[in-house]
Amino acid sequence: MKVEYLAYADGDDKVNTAITAGNQPDLIMEGPERLVANWGAAGYMVDLADMLDDTDKKEINDVSAGVLSACTTADGKVYEYPLVMTAHCMAINLNAFKEAGADQYLDLENHTWTTENFIKAVEALYAKYGQTVGAVYCAGQGGDQGTRALVNNLYGGTYTNADHTAYTWDDANNVKALETLLGMDGIDFDASLAGGDEIAKFYQGALKMAFCWNIAQQLDPNGAGTGAEKTVTGDDIVFMSFPSETGASQLQGGIWGFGIFDKGDAAKVEAAKKFIKYMCDSEHTVDAVKTANYFAVRTTAEGTDLSGIWADNAIMAEYTKLMPYLGDYYQVTKGWAAQRTEWWTMLQEIGQGADISSTIATRMGNANAAAK
Amino acid sequence: MAKQPKQSMSRALQRRENINGYLFMLPSLIFFVGFVIIPMFMCIFMSLTDANMRDQALPHFIGIKNFVDLWKDEDFLGALKNTFLIVVVSVPTVCAFSLWVASAIYKLKSPVLSAFRCIFYLPVVTGSVAVTVVWKWMYDNYNGILNTALKGAGLIEKNINFLGTPGIAIWCIIIILFTTSVGQPIVLYVSALGNVDQSLVEAAEVDGANHMQVFWKIKWPQIMPTTLYILVITTINSFQCFALIQLLTSGGSDTDTVMFRIYWTAFKLTEQQGHFGYANAMGVVLAIFIAILSAVQFRLAREK
Repeated sequence: MKVEYLAYADGDDKVNTAITAGNQPDLIMEGPERLVANWGAAGYMVDLADMLDDTDKKEINDVSAGVLSACTTADGKVYEYPLVMTAHCMAINLNAFKEAGADQYLDLENHTWTTENFIKAVEALYAKYGQTVGAVYCAGQGGDQGTRALVNNLYGGTYTNADHTAYTWDDANNVKALETLLGMDGIDFDASLAGGDEIAKFYQGALKMAFCWNIAQQLDPNGAGTGAEKTVTGDDIVFMSFPSETGASQLQGGIWGFGIFDKGDAAKVEAAKKFIKYMCDSEHTVDAVKTANYFAVRTTAEGTDLSGIWADNAIMAEYTKLMPYLGDYYQVTKGWAAQRTEWWTMLQEIGQGADISSTIATRMGNANAAAK
Repeated sequence: MAKQPKQSMSRALQRRENINGYLFMLPSLIFFVGFVIIPMFMCIFMSLTDANMRDQALPHFIGIKNFVDLWKDEDFLGALKNTFLIVVVSVPTVCAFSLWVASAIYKLKSPVLSAFRCIFYLPVVTGSVAVTVVWKWMYDNYNGILNTALKGAGLIEKNINFLGTPGIAIWCIIIILFTTSVGQPIVLYVSALGNVDQSLVEAAEVDGANHMQVFWKIKWPQIMPTTLYILVITTINSFQCFALIQLLTSGGSDTDTVMFRIYWTAFKLTEQQGHFGYANAMGVVLAIFIAILSAVQFRLAREK
């Protein structure tokens, strides 16, 4: 068996090229936005609905009802068998917040804060450091879940409609959020940074908060191997949910699982299903989930309890506090790949002074055209 | 009658030599046909269709619709404008700078000349990713060396977001392109200037010609083939600017180029109807512009 590891940033390019050449892999581990909304919708994937009986569905739905719906098309086809999930969040440099007296605005017990407190914290940080403390990064699509969550949560805006058929960026609450962010000293719409760059700047201490964060970063910031929950200079990193008016935000979820490319070979499909069953629903699932460093999407796997597998890891256990804030998994909306370009381009244009309403209208129009 | 066998032998010999010649060419010819000629025709054919990753059926012939759509596509027109800006700025500056440097160093002693050749050629042989990453650090908005130096010198108060500001980012990319493009022309010009017929130079000097007259009347015509080669190669390289855009800006901050747009349309906008056909149409348009500009350069050089 040949295994190839692809980066998220351009992995889809490679798979798209392989599909075009007719040599796509038999099995792939990815998220619903690509397995379901892209390759599944285009007819390249095998329907895995027969792998999920009522027990499986209950075990998954008991963790989060959104997982299975994200892996399933409107007509009931399952193109992703889910294995792990996480909630994307943001992070703050606690030492910097303390120095600026901004830690008073954080609920460190629950890892939440309100929009009002977020604004006050940025003001305090800017007063202390006199420079950009948080970047609305928009150099590309990398890490765009962070900027989406920031804008949507600030005043309760939405990204898509409830049935995931259209993008709703012109929601008045999104406009208000963008206006607020644009007017804040200390927050910069930075077209030279993408998500990965922002993490690096945060890790180096240049930025005092990062909007692109999750448990993998908390365990190993910037992938640098210099210690969990620490910047390069040893400052403490605290993960936070995104600020919202009530403090109870809607976090973006990440769901990863397996899909099978339909290459017309029934024997290979059967073998792939056996592999998926072994990884996602057997006594070995514990190892798979722990290797992924994320959270299980189900309560039990063939009788093995998965609910307490991170009890031995204080950081993972603490992070579970964010899981109840998992919001709608709207990444399965049609035109997902195309709209990502429109989103970061829109942020760039707004950051460079373009009229907010007309820019949103144009870019959202392009995204919705791709969604038809 | 006596001449007939001789002619027949000569023809046989000629045929054998021809066959040998073609056999020697065959390996290159296979690659040239397989990787240049066939893809070129495929590209032209695909540009006339709605070829798409999502449709597994054969693409439909749609005539010149893709080309008509291109001229209404603001993103493509913006990319075309940037591409021309890069070509118009970088081709003359690369040629002029490399000629100036080569003129200054070609008479130096061998070890010094070799050292200069190495210095100027270094960015060419260094991987484009490595070069780009180093420039990215230099341009950094937060702790880049350029911002630090400018601030330290008191020239700026606030950091400049070099790669995140439209109107600045494209010039930053042109500067990098310049540094990676001048190496080869300098080496070629040094060689060309070293091969200029010295007897003509000396004769002109004896006749009282000054340095400028010697250069433009004697040397310049003799290095014209080299200049033409440099012009064509630099033009093609500038038209095909891709890696710098991909690694630095992803086409943002008004730095999109046609080459980057082709990649983006073909492999990122896979939900767009007929995206392969559309990307191929961009490729055809780019090839036409390169061909026209190269032909103009050949014509001008021939007239000279």
